[in-house]
Amino acid sequence: MDIIGSLLVGGVSFGRNMVGIITRPYETYRRIVDRGNVWELVPIGLILAFYFALASLVKTAAFRPFLLTKQFILLSGGAASGFLLTVVILWAAARLIGKKAKVALAWAYTLVPTVFWFLTTSILSIILPPPRTQSAAGVSFSILFLIFSVTLLWWKVTLAYLTLRFGLKLDLGRIFAVFAVCVPVWGLWSYFMYKWGIFKVPFL
Amino acid sequence: MTNTTYQKFVKRWEEVTELPPQTLGPLTPYYKMLVRHLKVMPWPIFVLISLILVLALYVLIGSAITFIVSLLQRGF
Repeated sequence: MDIIGSLLVGGVSFGRNMVGIITRPYETYRRIVDRGNVWELVPIGLILAFYFALASLVKTAAFRPFLLTKQFILLSGGAASGFLLTVVILWAAARLIGKKAKVALAWAYTLVPTVFWFLTTSILSIILPPPRTQSAAGVSFSILFLIFSVTLLWWKVTLAYLTLRFGLKLDLGRIFAVFAVCVPVWGLWSYFMYKWGIFKVPFL
Repeated sequence: MTNTTYQKFVKRWEEVTELPPQTLGPLTPYYKMLVRHLKVMPWPIFVLISLILVLALYVLIGSAITFIVSLLQRGF
């Protein structure tokens, strides 16, 4: 199959899996790990690139190509380093317990809730810039925003759990053990991302 | 036709039985009860748990939640 054909197949599979991770995450993750296509990473990458381009515009707040490009590269590089770091830890964890890891594509799908939260937050910060006041409207908005954020966090946690459940074929105890290894590394990564001014909320 | 259906069934069966069922000792029935709601259309459970957590946080810290949201809104 040529490149265009592969891209089309990847695009269609991505669309199908997107509907799946919203409505039937368990079954869809089983399919992603078993029959996932590496070309599905292309639409995911395009969505991320779209967000980083928008975030660069919002953060830089000026049409200066050098600053915009610098910001875009920083955001993309930061997110790519987080993704690669996670995949490497999961791969190493799989080697340690003598299992074969198929986690890269599955973990890439867990970036969908992340990018959706960041995208929504960017747009909201343009429409309703912070800080929020303690008025009734401010508190109501805050409650709604937190419900939205925590809901997406549960979705993210579920997809991360399914990545380990199907990608590494682990039971719940071992999934917690792997996350216990991941958390300090993510913490350190988040600290450096914050210190370097790339992400204040970790893009994982 | 029957043969194809049977092959599909065998393939599906192998997929499902590849992973041993998750058990959590005495907590297994509660785990199964929760997971059953998460496998298909998990959004009502996600929203319900989030609503309870956020309302609990509001009861705990009151209108200071606007400070958390201001921080999060600057966090992208």
